[in-house]
Amino acid sequence: MYSGLALVAAVPLVLSPYYVYVANLALVYVILAVGLNIVLGYTGQLAFSNGAIFGIGAYATGLLRLDLGIPYGLALPAGAVVATIAGVLMALPAMRLRGLYLALATIAFAQFTVWVFVHWDGLTHGTSGFVLKPVDFSPLPVTPPTGLLYLSLIITVACVALASNMLRSPIGRAFVAIRESEHAAAALSVNLTRYKVYAYGASALYAGIAGGLFVGAVGAVVPDQFGLFQIVLQFCMVFVGGIGSLWGSVLGAVLIIGIQEGMRDLKQFQEIGFGALLLAVILFFPSGIVGWLKTRVAGWSEPLRHGDRED
Amino acid sequence: MEQLKRILRASVVLAAALGIAASAQAEEGVTDTTIKIGTMGALTGPLAGIIVPQFNGIEIVFEEANAAGGIHGRKIVFVREDDECLPSKGVGAVKKLLYEARPFMIVGGGCSNAAIAQKPEIVAAKVPWVVTAATADALSEPVDPYVYTTMSAAWTEVYGMLQLALDEKKSRIAVVWQPDAWGKARIEPLKEALKKKGVTAIAIEEVAVEPTDLTPTALKLKALNPDAVLMLLYPKAAVPFLRDSMKVGLQPLAIGGSPLVEIDQMAKGAGSVEAVKNVRVIAAAGFGVDDPQVAKWKEKIEKRFGDRFNLYHMFGIAGGQFVVEALKRAGRDLTRERILAVMSTMQMSSDAYAGPLKCTPADHQCHKTLGIFALKDGRVSGVGSTTPTR
Amino acid sequence: MLLAYVIATGITTGALYALVAVGLVICYRTTGHINFSHGELFMVGGFLAFTLHVLLGVPYVPSLVLAVLGGGLLGLLSDRLVYRPLISAPATAMVVATVALSFVLRGVARYLWGGQGEYVPFPPIADPSAVMIGPIAVFPQQLVVVASTVLCMALVTLFFRLTRTGKTMKAVAESPRAAYLVGIRVERVYAMTWSLSAALAAVSAVFMAPLTQLTPDIGFGLLLKAFAATILGGLGNMPGAVVGGFVVGIAEAFAAGYISSSVQEVMAFIIIMLVLVLRPTGLFGVKAAREV
Repeated sequence: MYSGLALVAAVPLVLSPYYVYVANLALVYVILAVGLNIVLGYTGQLAFSNGAIFGIGAYATGLLRLDLGIPYGLALPAGAVVATIAGVLMALPAMRLRGLYLALATIAFAQFTVWVFVHWDGLTHGTSGFVLKPVDFSPLPVTPPTGLLYLSLIITVACVALASNMLRSPIGRAFVAIRESEHAAAALSVNLTRYKVYAYGASALYAGIAGGLFVGAVGAVVPDQFGLFQIVLQFCMVFVGGIGSLWGSVLGAVLIIGIQEGMRDLKQFQEIGFGALLLAVILFFPSGIVGWLKTRVAGWSEPLRHGDRED
Repeated sequence: MEQLKRILRASVVLAAALGIAASAQAEEGVTDTTIKIGTMGALTGPLAGIIVPQFNGIEIVFEEANAAGGIHGRKIVFVREDDECLPSKGVGAVKKLLYEARPFMIVGGGCSNAAIAQKPEIVAAKVPWVVTAATADALSEPVDPYVYTTMSAAWTEVYGMLQLALDEKKSRIAVVWQPDAWGKARIEPLKEALKKKGVTAIAIEEVAVEPTDLTPTALKLKALNPDAVLMLLYPKAAVPFLRDSMKVGLQPLAIGGSPLVEIDQMAKGAGSVEAVKNVRVIAAAGFGVDDPQVAKWKEKIEKRFGDRFNLYHMFGIAGGQFVVEALKRAGRDLTRERILAVMSTMQMSSDAYAGPLKCTPADHQCHKTLGIFALKDGRVSGVGSTTPTR
Repeated sequence: MLLAYVIATGITTGALYALVAVGLVICYRTTGHINFSHGELFMVGGFLAFTLHVLLGVPYVPSLVLAVLGGGLLGLLSDRLVYRPLISAPATAMVVATVALSFVLRGVARYLWGGQGEYVPFPPIADPSAVMIGPIAVFPQQLVVVASTVLCMALVTLFFRLTRTGKTMKAVAESPRAAYLVGIRVERVYAMTWSLSAALAAVSAVFMAPLTQLTPDIGFGLLLKAFAATILGGLGNMPGAVVGGFVVGIAEAFAAGYISSSVQEVMAFIIIMLVLVLRPTGLFGVKAAREV
């Protein structure tokens, strides 16, 4: 893991600004995937709202910087808080729903959110979105992209560590209990509502943080960026890594961003290349990469990994 | 003898030093035999259908120049990157271009969603950028020394559309528009134009970007009895609008912008030529796709790419010709300063536009003359041209 | 007057969504998976018909038949390449696999048909001039859409009720294991399911193409609507999916007519959200069987 960190930290020193950007994007998606996994993989909730919450975090951070002149260091956490609140509010009506019904309700919420981004012109600047100045890291001697990469790295490590701890704690066990059987969990006096709120809240917090970092890296916000396609991609990251595996999400995010960027040279055939490669990956690793690793690497264990289900 | 050797040695060293200095001064993206030109745009995603033809148009012009021996002995290498018209992918595309491919200049791009994020990078890297089809006036105004556009600005088209309605003595003018980035970039200047001409639109209706049915909108407008409708729409919305308007008996003068120039295709989609009988289009292109003026390009495009020749190819062709001409005029000693200086006062005619491309140091929106089109005998024909002012 | 038009539009688009939803439901009921490339199957079917009818000049009905056959073949191919290898994999693998397939189909469609331009017109099968039904003008194509949907629904129902293949599909849907035990070739049934589902998508595309736009990117949006219709009607319930489709179509039409055209997309989803809050198992869903 430390070698991974060292590798990322070395990118700005060795590779061109393009790779700095790609690394940054990968970190953003790592945070997103880890957050999504909390609610999807560990708690078993088919929530399609992560993309929209990601967007809310991005818009919040961006607008605070643009329209209120708040510096990035404050706008980022503030945006994350806004996203968390939105995520928790969204979770409340979702309590009653299960399975694909929950999926549909969260899809509806996501569509509605993008519609608001587009039509609430006065607040969000509408369909054309807005552009921001690069984040200023002075007095530190780093360029904005490099500074942002290191910031993202630090935040990503913190997020992963936090998630790891949470999942090993009684909270994590409660999540898994809910996933395996809500009735049993309730029978064991697990407060379903409370823990579901924690799960949605955690995932929203992560999505909000990711949104703020995203805004810093890209420098522009448009509504199109946060449509349902976003969440489908995030799902794929979680599944390819291995659902219910924290490190799986990290791997999945890095892999998929890597494939996406790597396919650039295929130009107009990128979609075919990306789809074919993604298909190949899942055909070879149907339980996700971590699922495969578990069968190959002796002693690989992760607490409360999603067990293999038999039909 | 010893003296001679010393002189010889010194001259060799001097020659070598000069040689190194000379190649060190060669501009980025330019070698002895090549000029690398980059572009970024939607190669995939919903806007690919509009962007890729432009790039094909640019490339066909470059290939023709290369086939004729290149520009001052250099052939153009055209590099494309995909941005899917999204900022996140766009920043990656522009950084990959600028820091990996390292082109001499960038020709193309301009899909506004991505461009707003890309422009700061390009300008900071001091790379000349010729936008061949901008949707956002914000790209070319205010004037930036590095950014030129060979596409008419959004305001030009809508001022032209309004003027056409007024020239036809229409007074009950309605507007339908689609609330995406493209539509937004046009409704604002149109409102400004209406104000300037002292005209109040009887209705300004928003329609979905991809509607299946616009009967309610048509009914709403019919109740207001317009004699002209300005359509700030793409065919996806314009065709249902024209079709459903005809259905309910509403057929005023319908004026559209560039994307609607293929009136014959729209007629097919709407089901009949009747539906488009009152359609006029103000387009950045100068000629219809079947016009003999562009026949040579049509043939080349169809042969090389298998595309159905359309107006987006023409935008690329005009932009490509502009760049080739600028490169020629900049001379063999090619630097970015030289080409920027050349472009700042350049005037030339392209094969695809009705009027000249003309830039001034204060105005980098080089394309001001639009064509007016209507459907005559089943073919899209130019019925005039206009150079709107504001 | 407006109401009549709104209902007419709602029924037309609703019929389209219903047909696409039924294709999705057939796949879901038999295999237990939501096919994320279903929208792309629709899109490819439409383009196949376009190539045959518009580019090659093949008459309408043979184009329809060939496009549907092509769609069915594509379904078979998907089964071979994507589903068969993942039969015993977790459900999550199928999600990724069908998403990946949707990318491939989209990319191929863009390569083959992208050069046609961003607007691809498809002429209607019937005379394009509107006919009067009561106070409102209606395009014959709209009637064709509704009629063909009803016809397809009838055929599909008869298929499941009367033919052997249909019955084996139902058997597999109920319990693959039991089907195995009585000697049903389950893999064959899965292949047939994919094929039928894709063919239905192609049929809807061919009839709807004259009324809507045909681009490589229409798949995802359509999938969402079909998904919404399916769930609205109660999961895995074919008649429910049909009703769900009409509900979505009519909700959209009402939103477009009475609120604003630009609201129509999101309105459908608002309505869905409300329905689910009030009735968490959809309009017709049976209460979730004991899930302990």
